[in-house]
Amino acid sequence: MVDKLYKTFVDATHNVFNLMLNISEISHRPTDNFNCDDEIDIAIGVVGDLQGKVIYRFPASTSLNMVEVMSGMQFEEVDIFVTSAISEIANIISGNVLTALSDNNLTCDILPPEQCKLDDNKEYEIKTSCCICTTIGEICLEIRLNRAS
Amino acid sequence: MLWKDNYELGVPAIDAQHKELFKRVESFLQVLRSKDCWDEKVPKINETLEFMKRYVIEHFRDEEEYQCSINYPGYEAHKEIHNGMVNYVAEVTKQYEQSNNNELLMQQFGGRLLAWLINHVAAEDQRIADYAKKKGGSGSGR
Repeated sequence: MVDKLYKTFVDATHNVFNLMLNISEISHRPTDNFNCDDEIDIAIGVVGDLQGKVIYRFPASTSLNMVEVMSGMQFEEVDIFVTSAISEIANIISGNVLTALSDNNLTCDILPPEQCKLDDNKEYEIKTSCCICTTIGEICLEIRLNRAS
Repeated sequence: MLWKDNYELGVPAIDAQHKELFKRVESFLQVLRSKDCWDEKVPKINETLEFMKRYVIEHFRDEEEYQCSINYPGYEAHKEIHNGMVNYVAEVTKQYEQSNNNELLMQQFGGRLLAWLINHVAAEDQRIADYAKKKGGSGSGR
C-alpha cells in the first residue's frame, strides 16, 4: 500500500511537471538529504477511504522557478501570488492522485490547500515521503494517511 | 510569453479563443505584477477583470457546445470544472469589490488563475482534442 501510494504521487507529480512546465527529466529519491531553510509548506487534506494529509515542501528557489516557467515573467520573492500558484499546483497533483486511486476502488476527496507547518506529532498508518528532482529544483512530498475505519 | 505552442489542441475555433484568453490573462498579470503603486493599477485591473469574467463564460460555453457536438464522454465532468472556476471568479470578484479593491486578494487570485489555466488547457482540454482525433475529426469544420 505504501509503495503503491508513493508511486502514485511520484507519477502524478511527473505528469503535472511534464504537462504544465514542459519538464520531462524528473527523478525521485528518498528525502534523507532534503535540507531546506526557506521552504513553503502546503498541506492538502484528504478525506474518504484514506484520511490525513499530504504536505508539499517547495523550496523558495523551486517555487520561483515554477512560476517563472509558467508565466514567462521574473519573480524576485515568494509572495502571496507565488504561494497561491504553487498551492494550486499541489492541488492539481493531489487531484490527479485521487483519480488514480479511484481506479483502484479507493474513494477520496481533497480539501483546499493551506500553508502549514511541517511539525506534526500525530501517528499515521501510512507515513512516507519522497523527493522529486527536476531541472528547476526539488520538491518534497510528505504523505501522512490513515485508512478509514 | 504565457502562451506556448504545445497548448494547441488542433481545434481552430477553440485554439483561437485560448490564445485570446492567454493574451488577456498575460496582460492582467503584467499589470498585476508591475512595480506601479496599487492605486494606479486598480482601473486597469478592474477593466481586465471585467473582460475576463465575460470572456471566460463565453469561452466555456463555446467549448461545451463543441464537446456536445462531438459527443465527448467527459462533458459533464468538464462542465463541472468550468462551473467551479466561474463560481470562484464570481466569489473573488465579490470579495474584491467588498474589500474596496484589496491588492492581496487580487495577487492571490492571479497566482491561482495562472496555474489553473495552464493545467486546464494543457491537460484537461487536451483530453477533448485526443478524443476528437480518435473519432477521426479535428473539429476543423467549426
